[in-house]
Amino acid sequence: MIKSMKQMAVITLALALGLALGLAWAAPAALAAGELDKIKAAGKIRIGVYSDKPPFGYVDANGVNQGYDVYLAKRLAKDLLGDESKVEFVLVEAANRMEVLESNKVDLVLANFTVTADRAKQVDFCKPYMKVALGVVSPAKAPITDVAQLKGQTLIVNKGTTAEIYFAKNHPEVTLSKYDQNTEAFNALRDGRGVALAHDNTLVFAWINENPGFVAGIDFLGDLDSIAPAVKKGNNELLEWVNNEIVTLGQENFFHKDYEATLRPVYGDTIDPETVVIEGGVLK
Amino acid sequence: MAVARPVLKITGLHKRYDQLEVIGNLSLEVRKGEVLVVIGPSGCGKSTLLRCINGLETIQGGDIELNGQSIIVGHTRWNLVRQQIGMVFQSYDLFPHMTVLENILLGPMKAQGRERAEATKEAEAFLDRVGLLDRKDSFPRQLSGGQKQRVAIVRALCMNPEIMLFDEVTASLDPEMVREVLDVILGLAEQGMTMLIVTHEMAFARAVADKIVFMDQGSIVESAPPDIFFQNPVSDRARKFLNIFQFEGVKKEERHND
Amino acid sequence: MESAISIFLEGRNLARLMEGVWITLKISAASVLLSVVFGLLVGLLMISRKPALQAATRFYLEAIRVMPILVLLYMFYYLPDKNWGLHFEAQTVAIGVFTLWGTAEMADLVRGALTSMPAHQRESGRAIGLTEGQVNRYIIIPQAVRRLIPGVINLTTRMIKTTPFIYFISVPELLKVGQQIVEISGMKNNMASFWVYGFIFFLYFLMCYPISCFSAYLEKKWQN
Repeated sequence: MIKSMKQMAVITLALALGLALGLAWAAPAALAAGELDKIKAAGKIRIGVYSDKPPFGYVDANGVNQGYDVYLAKRLAKDLLGDESKVEFVLVEAANRMEVLESNKVDLVLANFTVTADRAKQVDFCKPYMKVALGVVSPAKAPITDVAQLKGQTLIVNKGTTAEIYFAKNHPEVTLSKYDQNTEAFNALRDGRGVALAHDNTLVFAWINENPGFVAGIDFLGDLDSIAPAVKKGNNELLEWVNNEIVTLGQENFFHKDYEATLRPVYGDTIDPETVVIEGGVLK
Repeated sequence: MAVARPVLKITGLHKRYDQLEVIGNLSLEVRKGEVLVVIGPSGCGKSTLLRCINGLETIQGGDIELNGQSIIVGHTRWNLVRQQIGMVFQSYDLFPHMTVLENILLGPMKAQGRERAEATKEAEAFLDRVGLLDRKDSFPRQLSGGQKQRVAIVRALCMNPEIMLFDEVTASLDPEMVREVLDVILGLAEQGMTMLIVTHEMAFARAVADKIVFMDQGSIVESAPPDIFFQNPVSDRARKFLNIFQFEGVKKEERHND
Repeated sequence: MESAISIFLEGRNLARLMEGVWITLKISAASVLLSVVFGLLVGLLMISRKPALQAATRFYLEAIRVMPILVLLYMFYYLPDKNWGLHFEAQTVAIGVFTLWGTAEMADLVRGALTSMPAHQRESGRAIGLTEGQVNRYIIIPQAVRRLIPGVINLTTRMIKTTPFIYFISVPELLKVGQQIVEISGMKNNMASFWVYGFIFFLYFLMCYPISCFSAYLEKKWQN
């Protein structure tokens, strides 16, 4: 009995292996046709977006993708395929934004992707459509409007963020109080455990809109980072098409419309759209 | 006792583990109704002998006949042979997931294909005889060692074997439980069961045996009726072996000498 | 409390959480079933006396054990596509990877259950005249199954608790849906994460508790 069961096991494993190899064999080789033609042939463009990072990419209560990135994604689908519904949203994470491109799971990633030299070695970035810098939020009663005011004071930051790195490097005279979680850090600011908090200005804007009594005394600080769509390394056809599209869209002030539709409801009226939006792919 | 036919006949048995010879050229016969007790020092090959008889060990030479039929030569269907040989082990080895009754019925019903009702009747009669009828629905873990061993004996008996093999069945028992098990075996001897018993209980051996077989280093050194063997062992080795059990007596002699 | 209820009543939030539960249950159940089947086979290979088979199965077990689930997901979802243009459905890959992992764990449980069985159990089965098949059927397998059940139950609940990792291959299981809801509700409702994660905790409990109860029931039944 044992013997026959062992034989069965061997046969089953062999079959499974054979099946796997067979599937591999039968898989169609990648078509040599142009990347744009492939998308058109498929009748849809696959775009990687965030599902839980409002207001850039998120899924609303009805399960529908929304946000600044999604607004652009729909427009790209419309201009490429004639219908803004011809986009398949693939949910991505910070952890797999590169992988989905490298392994063809998506054609394009629009996931608040900050351009860095390291990342540019693995994926190709298009022209930027948004920018991000540091913002410093403080109580409206005691606003911090200049970095000089922070000397000898405690500033709240999150571990590992651009804000922490920037202040540690450029302003050693500022005492940093570091937290792991965003919510912890903002609670510390509420409790007065620091005179101000520094983080990405896009996040700061969203927070102060929900928390009256705080202001973004400094709304633009540090190195300016740009945010851009990304395509698979070497996918020049799609890269160029998206770049042209971004330039063309700039002519109709598309990204300001995007801002009005998706970011203003979250940031409120006190923020200047120019601190966030890039029009026509030109970083100013 | 009139000369009865041999139930078990072993001729020139050889058993080796790789190069190590455990049993060398051993021959013996057990006749119907006869009780043979095998004694000898640890590692002398007596347990291996029993295991060879019901095919738990392969043999490297010689022949074993059961009721005149060789169970070695040709294609042996061991499951059929074993149905005629009841074996009881030192460590009882009841099946822990079955009740006492289920343990006993498994062989008769599955191996012999007997009816549940008929087999149950017989099993209950045997259980009654060993005083455990009221425990028939208990699980092995609820029984004492002695009780477990009595159930194991019933389990073997219920197959209605031609011969019973007992392999040091009291060796793992607490002293106060040894007796209840030996009494069961004595009862079987009275009823004429053919038995081959390996034991270290010398008093019991003397009481139950028709013949004592003394083994050492894989072969039979001497065999004789119990009275003769225990009073006048012929070989040096048997005398030395028996002396181990005479420790108490030595002390008394010393006291007399004072 | 009112604000908590409003989170779940808004839009399709509750339905979406239930869809997350369904994905979690579907993937865990399929993986456990396949793991049990393959685990039994591989487990029997593991106790084989052939050194090559032993070495191969041992290597499989150890390799899978040291490999984080995320790496396995990467290897079977992203790598084949990256290197050979092979695309498998994300949920299929999830079931495949969990089965690969579950089979290794299960095989080790089977090996443990069989090797921990005293050799005498088989011998006393033989001694009452049972065939090898009958010994396996009436003595070895029933006892092995009893020894296996706690391990299988444990594996099942571990599978359920490991499903959140499949966010990595873009499958929106329960926890990810929860995060999505927390993120859009969190700006308006400070307690959103408390209520949503609390509810998700409760849903995981509902998935795992009946399995634990069943296990306890079997153990009690066999303990009697």
